[in-house]
Amino acid sequence: MAASKVKQDMPPPGGYGPVDYRRNLPRRGLSGYSMFGIGVGILVFGYWRLFRWNRERRRLQIEELEARIALLPLLQAEQDRRTLRMLRENLEEEAVIMKDVPGWKVGEKAFHTDRWVPPVTEELFNLRPREEMLQKKFGFQWYV
Amino acid sequence: MPGVVEIPTLQELNVEEVNVSSSVLKAAAHHYGSQCDKPNKEFMLCRWEEKDPRKCMKEGTKVNECAVNFFRQIKGNCAESFTEYWTCLDYSNLAELRQCRKQQKAFDSCVLEKLGWERPDLGDLSKVTKVATSRPVPENPYHSRPRPEPNPPIEAELQPSKHGSRLFFWNW
Repeated sequence: MAASKVKQDMPPPGGYGPVDYRRNLPRRGLSGYSMFGIGVGILVFGYWRLFRWNRERRRLQIEELEARIALLPLLQAEQDRRTLRMLRENLEEEAVIMKDVPGWKVGEKAFHTDRWVPPVTEELFNLRPREEMLQKKFGFQWYV
Repeated sequence: MPGVVEIPTLQELNVEEVNVSSSVLKAAAHHYGSQCDKPNKEFMLCRWEEKDPRKCMKEGTKVNECAVNFFRQIKGNCAESFTEYWTCLDYSNLAELRQCRKQQKAFDSCVLEKLGWERPDLGDLSKVTKVATSRPVPENPYHSRPRPEPNPPIEAELQPSKHGSRLFFWNW
């Protein structure tokens, strides 16, 4: 056979070197306790940050509420004036509408008491378009 | 007692209003709370004691006067920094005060050096205060009828009841 002269893929002269076939499972990395400790440490650090940020949010919320507290007298005064103005206009309209009805007392009290009875929204907005009453009743609602 | 509900006339209700939107009010709120403190507290005290808005019209007028004066002073002195502050607040829907700290600092320093107003610290506006007024405390703000007299004290000797307690079926 002409075997020695054909180019073949033969092992290198002297054979291959030694092959490392042993198990390679090195003991490395942190122990279980320290991993647990690191996890707990991260948790505690996260909680500390959270508590600090919550305190800061509380301070910000107090600031916003104080802005509202400072403005309340102005808003209350304006609201009172608006209610009284609407009542006055309703009274004058009533005088105009019911001037031919016998025995009708314009602006008569509906109750037997002298105290201020806050007017009902439907009665206040009686002579205005329905949208205004709905705005007063549900305008502040953000959800359904 | 049927009668007529008294409502003030439109002439009396005509008061100079503060024509200003909500972000402007919120921007100036802290300084407003510390400057216009007196008429504000008097009005709230009157409102809560009398429980009647018609009796507090004068104090309400004073509140409005103070507010208009306050805004006039700001407009006269610190208009630009205030405009920047409230336009920054107006940018977001919630008008969060913490997003506009830079403009707030500029406005505060301008107001401090020109008008001498200090921004109140956290918690100062929510402190409970005593208000000194010349208005007397209203008696019977709810207009209740006179309360009935208490039962007269029992004169005779009290004996234990015959046949025991009349409560259901116990007989002691």
